[in-house]
Amino acid sequence: MNHDPYYWGRPSDEVYGQYNYNIANAKNVEQHNQNNSNFPKMNTQQPIITGTSVISSKFKNGIIIAADNVGSYGSLMRFNNIERLIKVGSQTIVGISGDISDLQYIQRILDELEIQQEVYDNDGGDFLIAPNVHEYLSRVMYNRRSNMNPLWNSIIVAGFDSEKKPFLRYVDLLGVTYHASTIATGFGSHLAIPLLRNLIPENKDYINVNEEQAKKVIEDSMRVLFYRDARSGEVYSYAVIRLNEETGKIEFEFNKKTKVEDQKWRFAKDIRGYGSTQH
Amino acid sequence: MNGINVDINHLKKGEVNLGTSIMAVNFKDGVILGADSRTTTGSYIANRVTDKLTQIHDTIYCCRSGSAADTQAVADMVKYYLQIYSAQLPPGEKPTTNIAANVFQEICYNNKDNLTAGIICAGYDEKNGGSVYSIPLGGSIHQQEYAIAGSGSTFIYGWCNENYKPNMEQEQCIEFIKTALAEAIKWDGSSGGVIRMVILTKKGVERLIFYPDEYGVLTRKDDL
Amino acid sequence: MKSTNIYLTSIGTGYDLSNSVFSPDGRNFQVEYAMKAVENGGTSIGIKCKDGIVLACEKIINSKLLVPGKNKRIQTVDRHLGVVYSGLLPDGRHFVNRCREESQSFKSIFKIPIPVPNLLDRIGLYVQNYTCYNSVRPFGIVGIIGGIDDNGSHLYMVEPSGSFWGYSGAATGKGRQIAKSELEKLKFDDLNIKDAIKQAARIISLAHEDNKDKDYELEISWCSKEFTNGKHEFIPIELLEEAKKFAEEDEGDEDEDEEEGEGEGEGEGEDTEMN
Repeated sequence: MNHDPYYWGRPSDEVYGQYNYNIANAKNVEQHNQNNSNFPKMNTQQPIITGTSVISSKFKNGIIIAADNVGSYGSLMRFNNIERLIKVGSQTIVGISGDISDLQYIQRILDELEIQQEVYDNDGGDFLIAPNVHEYLSRVMYNRRSNMNPLWNSIIVAGFDSEKKPFLRYVDLLGVTYHASTIATGFGSHLAIPLLRNLIPENKDYINVNEEQAKKVIEDSMRVLFYRDARSGEVYSYAVIRLNEETGKIEFEFNKKTKVEDQKWRFAKDIRGYGSTQH
Repeated sequence: MNGINVDINHLKKGEVNLGTSIMAVNFKDGVILGADSRTTTGSYIANRVTDKLTQIHDTIYCCRSGSAADTQAVADMVKYYLQIYSAQLPPGEKPTTNIAANVFQEICYNNKDNLTAGIICAGYDEKNGGSVYSIPLGGSIHQQEYAIAGSGSTFIYGWCNENYKPNMEQEQCIEFIKTALAEAIKWDGSSGGVIRMVILTKKGVERLIFYPDEYGVLTRKDDL
Repeated sequence: MKSTNIYLTSIGTGYDLSNSVFSPDGRNFQVEYAMKAVENGGTSIGIKCKDGIVLACEKIINSKLLVPGKNKRIQTVDRHLGVVYSGLLPDGRHFVNRCREESQSFKSIFKIPIPVPNLLDRIGLYVQNYTCYNSVRPFGIVGIIGGIDDNGSHLYMVEPSGSFWGYSGAATGKGRQIAKSELEKLKFDDLNIKDAIKQAARIISLAHEDNKDKDYELEISWCSKEFTNGKHEFIPIELLEEAKKFAEEDEGDEDEDEEEGEGEGEGEGEDTEMN
């Protein structure tokens, strides 16, 4: 008898011969048996309704982060009212791309975190700041991927660290994290990062950039994304968190329903044929 | 995976599906839900007079699309949750549509790997009047002024977007739903049969039914 | 001595040693003794007025080494819910913890903040459970829970037996008798929340008469749609100072009047109240 509990009560191969998986047309069972038998459990998952890029940049005394409001279902623009920037605590923004049901889940666990860390604490202790939020999310994301059941998102956490310096850090469905002065997810990492790096070539360079410059490049990037990302939308939200150097206070600005401006289309009328010199 | 296991995918393939056209629309006095009545197994019509509008509480209903077995099981669970929840409410008070929709969301999200369920939850309550929530495949939740779902809905996105008006009169709203679903049934092979509606208002529940020879005239003008 | 007779007859009969055993006349003595633990704690009160709720407590300072203004006693359960209690403090912490767990568990299913009556249904059941088994003892606290939900403001008081009632004004702890008689004079229907804060400060200061040998710190929290956006928070320092001043001035007035009525006040103070 095979003493492995897995085989208890099952017909043994020695007596009855190999089981014929073709019974019940169970062809893939045999395959499964070979491929995955060493895995305890496999959760396959795929994103259903998704949000596209989030883009963000540091500047001298703050950060700016933007994401559009579309929720796509394949190529169908299923929703156009999805808010993908989540405020956590008083001075942190979490921008999320990827699956929207997981986004809503993250929104709920962040709310729970906020209650545990800020509402329960009534002795006026430290409050939640961006590095705390990022650490928490990276643990959640890594834990879920290790259970073979990832949260299908790429996340940017933006805010200030304990020394009141701008903080920008990424974490994704694999639990990978990195820091940079300009971060974008999804299509944004291809289309927006080159523009953002033009302004801030290296991480240290953000101190030479002011808010208007950063805001301009973010607006330009949102326009390029609207031109070239087939899952993007024309309406987006952006948030600015800045340290007012005079008062020493952190200011928070959340703008919703911003439209992509300065679009250029008129040149299309001069374009004929395939674009080669022969007509 | 071992010999005695039955192939789940094989079972799933033969499943009865609600390849559907469903919708729910807010109007002046409450909310109206509408659905076709076709249930298919592959391309065979397993039931041509299905009732896809399921009661969850007195004036909370849902429209089901996806696997018939999954959505029935989920709807039954939510119904049960709401029974317990409403038992704890002060006398005379009823659960809000929001609560029902949130329970749908919780179940659909936690079991997303095993469910094929796209649900619209709509209802009338004293606090919020009519409200409509869409809970699509992944288990996210979206409150909307009106919601459409199911395979047939893809053909009527544009029409609904153009023709929906906030605060419609009841008759206007019925006409809106009837036309939309008639169009969806016309273009979607997995939708068909009769159009059922449920009107949820302060007055309670009212059911309507429209037969193909009635609603058909709405769409037939171009093929005759 | 006559009033304590009932205890003398039951002490030593063994019926007061275990939770899960009734006395022949149908009482659970452990629950009644738990009430005794409450009666020695600092006074806590709650006021429900037309636009919110106010919680206040007389925090007895047992050591001069404790940091003033820290070690808060009033706690928050969820954004919209506050708790204050009198009795064994660690029991209170556990009680609040459970309130928090119940609130989160409700939210994890229904995705909305728990309505106050729902929390009390759950927490009452939990406290009651501690009166049923001989392996546990009942909670040595009376908790006052206040908050705002969609149906307006609510104020409840939970006893060690697990029973709970809704109140317009609730008081527990050592000075509860004075506090109750003061609360009864308030007109809850006309009272606005800012006045309620002042009254709370005054009542706590009066109730401290029963505990005069010890120092105390006044803690007041509130929950109001208008001023705190429905959140439960400690009142701002300015309001607290204003309330303290109001209480002090009022006490000055009282001292003058009190010469006539002092006798009755004393008698009420140590009245036993066992239900």
